[in-house]
Amino acid sequence: MGTVHAKAEENFTEAPAFGDKNIFREPTETFSFKEVDLEAVRARVDKINVDGLSRTKNDIVEDCIKELFKAKDFQDVLLKAHRVSQSQAGRAGVFQEHLRVHRHEQGPEGHVRRLGSDVQREGAQAGNGGVTTHVGNNEGALLVGMRAPNLFGRGERVQMEYSHGSKKTSNFNVAFIKPFRGRHRPTLTTSVFQTHSEWPTSGYKQVERGLLVDLGFYSAPLLKHNVQWEGNIRDLNVLSRTTSFNVREQCGLNLKSALKHILSVDLRDDLIFPQQRVALPADVGDRRPGRRRGVPEERLLPAGELFHSRGFHGVSVLQACLSGGHMSSLSNDMKISMSDMYYLGGPLSVRGFQMRGVGPHSDSDALGSMSYWAAGLHLFTPLPFRPGRGGFGELFRTHFFVNAGNIGNFQSVKGEDLVEALRANLRLSYGLGIALRLGNMARLEVNYCFPHAFDKGDQVHRASSSASGCSSCNVRHTPLGVLPLRVRVNRIVEHLKCTFEEISRIPTIVYEICCLIK
Amino acid sequence: MASNETKSSIDVEIETKTIFGYKGLGEMVLDFSFVDEETKTPPPVGITQEPWPKDVKVFQPYEVEQILLPDNANCLSVQAFLKMCHLDFQVEPRANAEAMSPTLKVPFIKAGRFVISELEGIVQFVNGKGISLTDKLDNEQKADMRAYMSLIHNVIEVAELYICWIDQETYNEVTSVRNGSVYPWPLNYVQNFIKKHQVIKKLKALDWYNKTLEEVLQEVENCCEALNARLDGKNYFFEDNPTELDALVFGHLFTILTTPLPKSDLANIVRNYPQLINLVQRIEKEYFKKETKH
Repeated sequence: MGTVHAKAEENFTEAPAFGDKNIFREPTETFSFKEVDLEAVRARVDKINVDGLSRTKNDIVEDCIKELFKAKDFQDVLLKAHRVSQSQAGRAGVFQEHLRVHRHEQGPEGHVRRLGSDVQREGAQAGNGGVTTHVGNNEGALLVGMRAPNLFGRGERVQMEYSHGSKKTSNFNVAFIKPFRGRHRPTLTTSVFQTHSEWPTSGYKQVERGLLVDLGFYSAPLLKHNVQWEGNIRDLNVLSRTTSFNVREQCGLNLKSALKHILSVDLRDDLIFPQQRVALPADVGDRRPGRRRGVPEERLLPAGELFHSRGFHGVSVLQACLSGGHMSSLSNDMKISMSDMYYLGGPLSVRGFQMRGVGPHSDSDALGSMSYWAAGLHLFTPLPFRPGRGGFGELFRTHFFVNAGNIGNFQSVKGEDLVEALRANLRLSYGLGIALRLGNMARLEVNYCFPHAFDKGDQVHRASSSASGCSSCNVRHTPLGVLPLRVRVNRIVEHLKCTFEEISRIPTIVYEICCLIK
Repeated sequence: MASNETKSSIDVEIETKTIFGYKGLGEMVLDFSFVDEETKTPPPVGITQEPWPKDVKVFQPYEVEQILLPDNANCLSVQAFLKMCHLDFQVEPRANAEAMSPTLKVPFIKAGRFVISELEGIVQFVNGKGISLTDKLDNEQKADMRAYMSLIHNVIEVAELYICWIDQETYNEVTSVRNGSVYPWPLNYVQNFIKKHQVIKKLKALDWYNKTLEEVLQEVENCCEALNARLDGKNYFFEDNPTELDALVFGHLFTILTTPLPKSDLANIVRNYPQLINLVQRIEKEYFKKETKH
């Protein structure tokens, strides 16, 4: 066990300082923990005993706990101790930490108290693994992972993942991750991957085998940069004999070598939905076969944060999102493959259309475009009349939305006003539905969509539009047959996690803090 | 006649299903199974009665820098066959022609909405348009013709693969350079490795992988001997009119004779048969020279 020894200041010459902060202590008042102003409680960390870490190198442990010595008061100690667990070493799986604060010793006459704060650190095992399920992008996947954390004692880890999805995607990935010390918390990731995916809406399947080198660092506490290089051999093939010839023309091997810069502001709050995130990922350029420039993918979910942070317990939430992308070829002999194109339509982008249903098609296979934008406005409210209030009914929300977007090769009409080009042929759909929270697993939406403006080539549900003057986008085999319903499973995080790690010989650090309470 | 047509069109349907059902399995058995199927069923008359479309394109790899001996032979056979049928087409070179083909083999043609690959499939498709080079042949002759065609597929074509991919000198100097020419580094090495692996697998299945070069050349010589005997001084294999067999023989022999390789053993063998060379020259003069004069 490791111990932190923190004592009340022995040098009472500084006493005026905490005398100033003595805003809660009246001599006549009986002491109550609830009233403690932690900031006024002076504390000092003298000694930290580290025990039970065998692989972990000293420098990295020192690095991440040295902040604790700078703590001035009890609140500081608590915060810093917590921050240690959030530190890079902690996140890299060097050790995990539990913070437990308890009253350790009562001082005489209620003036001096010793508080003990145990911070336990459990070193991660030499290797562990898990089987998880993962739902996202309208697909469920089974994920098998193994990892060897803290391989060489400085937070390096090797992890291996295999996932198999319900839509015949499979993914294999071996990664080596090495965090570095430093103010910007740099992390180097190298991985080798192989991904199979099938895109029935575009009539092709693809196998990707590649190498990824990623350097991530923070320039501000929440502002994360990733500089990535990805070398990728892609084998594109048609799905069936009836696939359009335009897709067939794209078959074969091609090489993609891409340099990316991704900028993200991470505002997740670890609650139910993980997508509480304002992200501005930007690929700076692809060397081959084409490059994406500018800010090709821009995702702004300011209200998304609100929605997610309140989860389903808030009252009504308004959510707005905007995304857009543009790419252009570096030279004529570098062709941009179908798999790099932008697609629009479907449960995750513009509702009211089939998956990839907006934009150019050839024999009902979506071909994709070089630019797009999409926006959405969503209102989530409690169910009308609030059935099951406070219980089961809280899992449901009523959902109203308006989606708009456009896709095309806007660059070709550069001579004209760009705004005009972006607005021409605008797709618009609106609708309403019910959103259901499925545990911590997924959000399920059942929506009735009315595509308001669409193009001839777009794939909307003709059958229902002829009957009711409206149309909808739906999953092809909707269980309700005639009803144009669309099911959307939003992106999910967590998992049915069953780990088979061994819990024995847990290395632990205990902080013991002695505080003076006046 | 009408009922006959419908009947045969059903046959064609089954036929295509068989072909594509086997796609991707070991190709070595396929050549034989095609032939067996074909000999059982009469040549199809009329998949559709639409005339020959105008925008027919033959897709094949780039001739100058990419194409390999066996592929070139097959592409030339198809071109020769279409020319023998006096059908219009354009040659469309594509670097990824092989991946585009439904059977992953070149050449293939695109006629309207149809995409048909390899000589056998194309012959059937053309027959479906009511155009046939084998109308006048009786069943026995047709069976003969198919036997010879399968002989070429199973001997000459395999020998070409052997020379290109297994013979180290040819592989290093010609095959690897040409096959990888359309891919950027390092994809060219990857692609060569994959392709070589596929060819070795096929040759192992056919029991050709362990043969020595001499044995391979001996097989080719036997095959040429058989063809020579069949030709027997006639203008074409079956009397005075060319058939798809002539197209196939022309494609392979012409390519062997004209392709410069580090080892000219194959060409030397063919040169021992002046009758076959005459046939090749005759077809070239008749069907290809005219084109160049245009």
